[in-house]
Amino acid sequence: MNSKSQAGNAFSFSWWHETVIGVLLLVVLLVAGWLVPGFLKPHSQLLLSRHLWEFAILALGMTLVILTGGIDLSVGSTMGLSAVVFGCVQTSTGSLVAASLSCLATGLCCGAVNGGLISQLRLHPLIVTLATFAAYRGIAEGWSQGNSYSRFGTNFSSLARGSWFGVPLPGVIFCVMAIGFAVFLSNTPNGRFLKAIGHNERAAKFSGIAVERIRFWLYATSGLLAGLASLIYVARFDTAKADVGKGFELDVITAVVLGGTSISGGRGNILGTLLGLLLIHETRLFVSRYWRSDELQWIVIGSLLILAVLAYQLIARKPRS
Amino acid sequence: MTTAEAVIQIRGLRKSYDGVHALRDINLDVAQAEIHAICGENGAGKSTLIKMLSGIVRADTGHITVSGTQLLTGSVQASESLGIAVMHQESAAFPHLNAIENLFVGRELTRCGGLYLNHIAMKSQTERLLQRLGVSVDLRVPVGELPLAQRQMVALARVLSRNCRLLIMDEPTASLSNRESQTLLRIVQQLQISGVTVLYVSHRLDEVFQIADRVTVLRDGRHVATHRIADVDRQQLICDMVGRSIEEQHRPRAHATDDSAVILDVTQLTRCGVFEDISFHVRAGEILGLTGLVGAGRSEIARAIFGIDEFDEGEVRVSGRKLKGGSVQDAMASGIGMVPEDRQHEGLILPMSVGENLSLAMLRGLTHWGLIRRRAERDLTDAQIRDLSVKAASSRIAAATLSGGNQQKLVLGKWLARKPKVLILDEPTRGVDVGAKSQVHGLIRNLASTGMATLLISSDLPELLALCDRLLVVRNGRIVGELQGRTATQEAVLSLALPDAAGLQLREAQQ
Amino acid sequence: MSNLLPPIGHALRPARFGVRFSKLVRQRETGLLLLIVLTCVVVGIKDIHFLSCEVWREILVRCAATAIVACGVMLVVVTGEIDISVGSLMALLAAVMGRMISEHEWDISCWIGIPATLGLGTLIGVFTGCLVSVGRVPSIIVTLGLLTALRGLTTLIMGGQNIDRLPEGLTQLAKQGLCGVPLSILAAVGVIGLTSVLIHHIPLGRRLYALGSSAESARMAGLSAVRLKLFVFGYTGFLTALATIVDVPRLPKIEAGIGSEFELLVITCVVVGGVAISGGHGRLSGVLLAVVLMTMIRPVLTFMDIGEAGEKWTRAIQGMFILLAVVTDSFFLRRQRSSGGEHTA
Repeated sequence: MNSKSQAGNAFSFSWWHETVIGVLLLVVLLVAGWLVPGFLKPHSQLLLSRHLWEFAILALGMTLVILTGGIDLSVGSTMGLSAVVFGCVQTSTGSLVAASLSCLATGLCCGAVNGGLISQLRLHPLIVTLATFAAYRGIAEGWSQGNSYSRFGTNFSSLARGSWFGVPLPGVIFCVMAIGFAVFLSNTPNGRFLKAIGHNERAAKFSGIAVERIRFWLYATSGLLAGLASLIYVARFDTAKADVGKGFELDVITAVVLGGTSISGGRGNILGTLLGLLLIHETRLFVSRYWRSDELQWIVIGSLLILAVLAYQLIARKPRS
Repeated sequence: MTTAEAVIQIRGLRKSYDGVHALRDINLDVAQAEIHAICGENGAGKSTLIKMLSGIVRADTGHITVSGTQLLTGSVQASESLGIAVMHQESAAFPHLNAIENLFVGRELTRCGGLYLNHIAMKSQTERLLQRLGVSVDLRVPVGELPLAQRQMVALARVLSRNCRLLIMDEPTASLSNRESQTLLRIVQQLQISGVTVLYVSHRLDEVFQIADRVTVLRDGRHVATHRIADVDRQQLICDMVGRSIEEQHRPRAHATDDSAVILDVTQLTRCGVFEDISFHVRAGEILGLTGLVGAGRSEIARAIFGIDEFDEGEVRVSGRKLKGGSVQDAMASGIGMVPEDRQHEGLILPMSVGENLSLAMLRGLTHWGLIRRRAERDLTDAQIRDLSVKAASSRIAAATLSGGNQQKLVLGKWLARKPKVLILDEPTRGVDVGAKSQVHGLIRNLASTGMATLLISSDLPELLALCDRLLVVRNGRIVGELQGRTATQEAVLSLALPDAAGLQLREAQQ
Repeated sequence: MSNLLPPIGHALRPARFGVRFSKLVRQRETGLLLLIVLTCVVVGIKDIHFLSCEVWREILVRCAATAIVACGVMLVVVTGEIDISVGSLMALLAAVMGRMISEHEWDISCWIGIPATLGLGTLIGVFTGCLVSVGRVPSIIVTLGLLTALRGLTTLIMGGQNIDRLPEGLTQLAKQGLCGVPLSILAAVGVIGLTSVLIHHIPLGRRLYALGSSAESARMAGLSAVRLKLFVFGYTGFLTALATIVDVPRLPKIEAGIGSEFELLVITCVVVGGVAISGGHGRLSGVLLAVVLMTMIRPVLTFMDIGEAGEKWTRAIQGMFILLAVVTDSFFLRRQRSSGGEHTA
């Protein structure tokens, strides 16, 4: 009976990707700490983490979406549309609360449209979100006519610039949410169902899982998170424009996939995504500060993504054959 | 038969999947230009043998020799180069391509030194082949949009177009009407005259007696017997095929009496083009069998009841409560559980662990403040593993690592954890080894005795006769007869299930 | 005889007009063509100048690069894969070519620089195909990685400066073309012809469709998925290089941001053109019409004379077209399914 050894493999194997990414992250940190003086100081790390948080919040939603075998290309555009709605409402009513709420609501609606099209009409997520990727950004551009809204007051910008015991406020928000998402994924029935859908949608249906309903709320959530990320982004720059979040979707997907979430669904967790995010972030910081080159970081990250998945494929294929 | 004349020699062929033997030590000789039938129940190993000959599956041990050349199993090209062609059961076709394109994929006819497709030649050759088969097919339509019978004919034409020396046919008439089957059989005989050797796999004994020269029976992956067709009769063949189940076949005692409460009540259920006017009921403690040929609509009926598919007319009631059509959640809430036909793709989520699979269907019942109670979940899954004697090292290993029988027990366990009032079992013992099979049978009996209503769908006649109180036979999407489990015989069931003339003949012979 | 199966000769009866008509309506090309003609009529009524040769020449020139690359990406999608790196690849190739042949840079002869660009494009395409088919990395990940990496490489090569002063001959050729037909249009016509021949008349093209239709059946038929995928990605790389060569010299200078979001435009055209994202199905004519439609949006908005405001809606309209295309598709699919087609999830 070799099932015992297989079980051993299967268990250690399920964390293989996270381990590799974690080790890589350590290597980057050590090398960076050695080559760039002061790189590892907590203060400078926190200072430099500012533009990580929007990505991180989007990545939480994207992890769940990719976990079910889907994809959401429209998050960046949703951010843009939400930002424009925020700006419009703020300038016309003058109320920050109303503006913030409508910003979140816009995100939720955008996500719900994606979710509705994907779950009710059973369209391919890639196509639907490709369409809304263009549509949401287009609506934002058409509506705002290239104008930007700014000067929302210091109260509002403290949402992004303020800190709580030295940790930036967006970081606190993210950490709370990350814990929430991790618990959701590993400890609630719906979290388990997400994985089941990603592995085998048919069997999930035969087990009585309301696949379509879950899928709808999943994309709605992803939209809502985009709304929140947009809010933080706007607060940070004190400017709302149609091009907020441009190109974010691909960076976020890169982080999630690098973190070990399988693009075909079923495998992945929040910890992996966290490591993936940090790896990208630290690599970027290190490359840009050591070589003083912004270009190199793209090359490194693109190659990292391909190599990580390639290595995973090569190792994962062995036990099968 | 001396080996000198044998065009195919199979020696000591062996294959197992995850510890379950699909084939053990098969020896077989097939002569030149012979029609050699292979019979056996579902799971006897016919498909594995075919896959090996066609190069899709690699043999564990043993070897196959074709006309003196050893065949390297596991390579489609190697099989093809030796002139082996296969017509698969689910006609392996390209649904988006039309008939002509399907026929010539991989071996397109060309002109100008292999550069250009020769459309005219391919079209005329396709037409000639289809004419020879006596069918007319719209050549412009993608094959996926053609009726099933036409698709089957295209698959046959595809095989014929490659001038094979050995033709393997896996249930070629399963989706054909009688007239179409006769055409196909005539073609097979023509092929034989032109020197082609045919391995013919079929459940339809009539066909076997009509065209085969010799017949080989497989059972549980073993070679049972090879007869010349003149030396054998139907009784002998069936006896060879079912073999072991004769000693197993004790008649059921009635689990339910006529005054037990009706649990599942189905009235005039119709799904257009699939099944129509299906009415039956299952009482508490009763095991109702549902049988018929593959494709007769049995599984589709079960899926409609469970809410996987929607139905167009009729209603389903559980203990008097009417179900919303097309909602699995509603069906489950009213107490239905279903063990689906395809264990690997529908029953289990193979990469997930044994424990996660077992608790999947009732996870919502194991929560506290919305969080899964790990201990309760572990208790539940451990209890199920123990009760069903699932052979698993731990509940944390992936379901994919278990053998077929143990996987099937997992699927059962998943539903039993919910304590359902109605359990629908679709082919619960397909591809399961003998030991696990009898365990599953025992389990079904026990559950019935506790008052559960069971709907058992199976192609395995001895299994149905051994378990069911009543038997419904489905043919072409309609219920064509009801038999009492006590008095039913295999012949009686078959005569109802077989389509058209074959069944008629049998029915008349019985009277 | 209570046989649910229709008799075998069933489908051969000559298609009635109604059947033919509904088939025509279902074809993506009909819808796209109708939309294009309708737009032309409406805009033409408003401003007859829209229908003039110069305007259409400009529209077609803008179509050319997209059409060339779409021919390749379409084949990639037909085999069931996807390529979202063409925009970055275009930028990289433009940078490399610019560096090589610009009079301010290395000033190598066009006769070396252009073949080298084509070779580099093909090479990167084959490399992508290699990772996808041999390395079994999902194509969306490979091309996503390349999208990022190649963009970085481009900026590195450009070194923060724009490249100008391409050889006079090349820019002239790109702008004026041969006998008054712009080079890019000539190239597009050639590529469309080549791709069309490939799809309809070469065994290889058939096999790509077969592979996308059913990978399992393709394996049983003895087709080599590795070789076919290497070919489609290599072909796409080659076409991207070609598009770069004919299109970029038209521009006053080469910037690092060239071709950004080009990949999404190409995928959009492929999808709107009716190519199934799951592979196996799709016609070149549909894709080409989609390219024209998508490229038309901006000039149309200009001609509608809504001013600057109108042009900002270009993307929104593009998005709406994709949605329209996929929603009608699913509508027809449903009708087909409910009228007795088989159930596929």
